[in-house]
Amino acid sequence: MSAAEPRRWAKTYPWLGEDPIPTAPCTSREIYLQEIDRVFTKVWLCLGRVEEIPAAGSYKLKRLEFASTSVLLIRGKDGAVRAFHNTCSHRGNTVVAPSGDWDECGQKGAFTCRFHAWTYNTHGELMGIQDPQGMPPCFDKADNGLTPIACATWEGFVFVNLDPEPAVGLDEFLGAMGDHFAGYPYDKLTHNFTYHTVLNCNWKVGVDAFAEAYHVTTIHAGSFPGTFSTGLQMVKLLGDHRTTAVCFDPGREPPPVARLAQAKARGSLVNNLATRSLPPTLNDEGRDDYAFELSVFFPNWLLHVAEGIWFTHQFWPLGHDKCLWEGKYYVAEPRTHSERWALEHAICLQRNAWLEDTGTMEDTDFALRSGAKPVMQLHDEEVLVRHGYHVLDKYLSGTEDR
Amino acid sequence: MANRLPEGFEALETWAVDWALASHNERWDQRLRSTGEDLRAFYDAILPWLERILEHADRFPLGELPPASARLFDLALMHAEIAPNVELYQCDPHVPHSFEERRFIAAHGDDPH
Repeated sequence: MSAAEPRRWAKTYPWLGEDPIPTAPCTSREIYLQEIDRVFTKVWLCLGRVEEIPAAGSYKLKRLEFASTSVLLIRGKDGAVRAFHNTCSHRGNTVVAPSGDWDECGQKGAFTCRFHAWTYNTHGELMGIQDPQGMPPCFDKADNGLTPIACATWEGFVFVNLDPEPAVGLDEFLGAMGDHFAGYPYDKLTHNFTYHTVLNCNWKVGVDAFAEAYHVTTIHAGSFPGTFSTGLQMVKLLGDHRTTAVCFDPGREPPPVARLAQAKARGSLVNNLATRSLPPTLNDEGRDDYAFELSVFFPNWLLHVAEGIWFTHQFWPLGHDKCLWEGKYYVAEPRTHSERWALEHAICLQRNAWLEDTGTMEDTDFALRSGAKPVMQLHDEEVLVRHGYHVLDKYLSGTEDR
Repeated sequence: MANRLPEGFEALETWAVDWALASHNERWDQRLRSTGEDLRAFYDAILPWLERILEHADRFPLGELPPASARLFDLALMHAEIAPNVELYQCDPHVPHSFEERRFIAAHGDDPH
């Protein structure tokens, strides 16, 4: 890494302070319950892409354990995307019965509850019930549609807010972060590879492990040796969110298959390509060693973008010591078999790097729960981690200053 | 039943029996149950053929490989799966110092090619 001014981010963002960070938010059941109450059921959460629900009647079912609900995203016949609790107005059964234990997408002309065949249209309105004459006079179909959830889109990402009356709209919640990442060709790079697993760790242990580059020389000595610099560049703390550039370390010669794959790949994190398709807000210093943007959208979503490839991580709380991790990697559709082959190499290498990243998370969580360390000591290059706890504290202490 | 490899690639037939696997999950499993010596031998055997395999596959539109050519292409995809282990991890068949690989679920894992 290039010689940087020591403690440069502390000097840039002095209001964050430099004190150690308490570990209790990673281990405490009580704080976890506060997070669910004051954060996860109050802020905007990214649940997917519009491409997952492309046509009228397309739906995505997303189970949110922390809120004891499953969210049904539906594209209506009018083309609008709406979100509903997947809960029937009759006796409360799930309307779309999940076929597995993870997300599912599908297509329906109408949504019929399996229990007693109450049927809803793509706008969530109750259209028909069995034997309607048997219902009492006070029953009105018009009042018994699916329960809506606040839903909005940004750059093709579908967000929901479980608060029946969100304090702010999505645009205001994203603020300058939304401007920073607008204009990237997310809708052109839609060829997706997704991995997921349940991790026995607090959701923040997961988010934090991805929110710095201080770990790359140790954790990624295997998959990315000498590839990326540990020093961050162009750190921006934008409202509740945070972003930085990660740059290449110059001069590494790839081995034979990696070299061939890089020559043929349309999207690979390790390719140093001119950043032509990035919006001007990214790499605004015009660095030629720019590798990718690493960002955390509060609370649980990380968006990384680079030339020709973008990927996300998301950590869904399943308890104070458990979470669901989803890693999603997006590139342009391959055009040839050799591009498809190069992509296989890129995704295998990326998966392996994610295996290296997730490899620390359960160990960290277990060791923290010992109580041996009431605080963690953060390096200046871990400024995004520090900012995350700063924002969380603002929500938990009720001192929201927006 | 296995399709024979295309003309000109007969020399790789002995490798295709165990290593020409159509899905990401099958290839991943094959790596995890192999030894480091297995990976090195397969890597060395395929590497000189790799560009020829890709040139052959590129004669067909993506996704329209005849069965024998698809089997050949699967060998190249298998090689992509194990190349990092040989080139970066000193032939460790697992990703060193990593999460339990079998707990990672690939949403696309069972898709062919």
